[in-house]
Amino acid sequence: MNRRRALGAAVLVLLTVAAGVALFRSAAAGDDPARSIAAGLRCPSCQGESVADSSSPVAAAMRQVVADQLAQGRSPDEIRHWFTERYGDDVLADPPLSGPGVLLWAVPALVLLGSGYAAVRTLRPAGRRTGVPVGPAGGPGRRTAWRLGAVGLVAMVGAVAFGAAQVGRPAGDGGPPDPAAVAVLLARDLEQQGRYADAARMYRQALETRPDVDVRLRLAFTLVRAGAPADAEQEARRLLAGTPDLPDALLVLGLAQRETSPDRAPETLRRFLDVAPGHPAAGEVRRLLAPDG
Amino acid sequence: MTGRALVSLLRRPAPVLALLMTAVLGIVLAVGLHRAAGSAPDAAAGAAPGAPAPALAGPTLDGGHFDLADGRGRVVLVNVFASWCGPCRRELPLLVDVSQRWSAQGVQLVGINVKDGTAAVRALLAETGAESMTVLPDPDGTLAVGWGARGVPETFVVDRDGRIVDRRRGEVTRQWLEQRVGPLLTG
Repeated sequence: MNRRRALGAAVLVLLTVAAGVALFRSAAAGDDPARSIAAGLRCPSCQGESVADSSSPVAAAMRQVVADQLAQGRSPDEIRHWFTERYGDDVLADPPLSGPGVLLWAVPALVLLGSGYAAVRTLRPAGRRTGVPVGPAGGPGRRTAWRLGAVGLVAMVGAVAFGAAQVGRPAGDGGPPDPAAVAVLLARDLEQQGRYADAARMYRQALETRPDVDVRLRLAFTLVRAGAPADAEQEARRLLAGTPDLPDALLVLGLAQRETSPDRAPETLRRFLDVAPGHPAAGEVRRLLAPDG
Repeated sequence: MTGRALVSLLRRPAPVLALLMTAVLGIVLAVGLHRAAGSAPDAAAGAAPGAPAPALAGPTLDGGHFDLADGRGRVVLVNVFASWCGPCRRELPLLVDVSQRWSAQGVQLVGINVKDGTAAVRALLAETGAESMTVLPDPDGTLAVGWGARGVPETFVVDRDGRIVDRRRGEVTRQWLEQRVGPLLTG
């Protein structure tokens, strides 16, 4: 039994040392104060990148601000405060805990402590208990249940850790990200920002490496919004050459023709309605085609 | 629940308790994950509406000097822009038009010109009829960061007391400008 205890203590010590080393390594990552401050700031125009790692113009400017303020003799805390005044607490990689954020740490810790206590009570031999023994609490069945439970918990944590690592990976295993997919993502982002001309350029870039019907459709719709109906018409015709009755292609062609050749637009839009009467845009098109529209 | 029942429940952690704890843990984790996924940094406060406008002072493109603090009593449109940015080029004529129309009521347009070349920005100003615009060159982008800008273009409306009324990321529209600036003109 003593050997067992010694082993348990050794495992605990080992885990504590490992945690300490990990903490020390992550904290000591930056000897350079400018770099460590930048690493603690989130790039506000990127997804999940720190100011230290991002190559975006805003991040570059923020690094410059950090360097300037350090040169002026400001402390890291003052600099971080300066940024939170401008970009909010979310600019910090580790924002201060508040509200439900505290619960997120406290509840799992309490649950762990509680179940640890319960486990110790159940697994400890009945004779050693200080309290009044309560029936056959520590029976072999219960112990087995606790042990199985512990193994299950460890397996779950391991599975989550493994799964999270998989999810965190941007694309596929190892290989470089698909440039066409990246271009499409960028284009969608630009489109959401209302930068249609830039979005169209990215869609075209994506199409160069991977001709795809959906991407070409998005390009055509974006061109209509970017105020380039002639280009949109050209893309729509290309799509229709492949699939003559593709509803979205007919729709975008009709919308483009409303600008380029208004007399031909109604015919195209009617064809669209014939092909896809239940299309989400059908109602709007009917309204456009109505005599007063 | 009587005291004795509670004590016996604590002594022998009943399955109910385990279930309860698991449920609470699950809910907290779910809430936490949802928050982590939903809290895009753009909901941030920062140079938010109602806050005093950050300092903005420095040499201008035409060799003069500008200080926003001198502009108290005026409504100032601060536009973060660059000649290499398409939406900035598109929105500039609108901003110039609106500020000229309201200049008699004390509206001024000030540009923070981010990471740009002098010749390129001069050409843009000439092209869009914006030569009268006050432009502060910001070659390393630090002025824009001082305003909490996340990119170009971005436009801030500063009222006569030097407070930010609203900000807009991306291209402005006439409607947005009229809604934000209009009410400040009478005051």
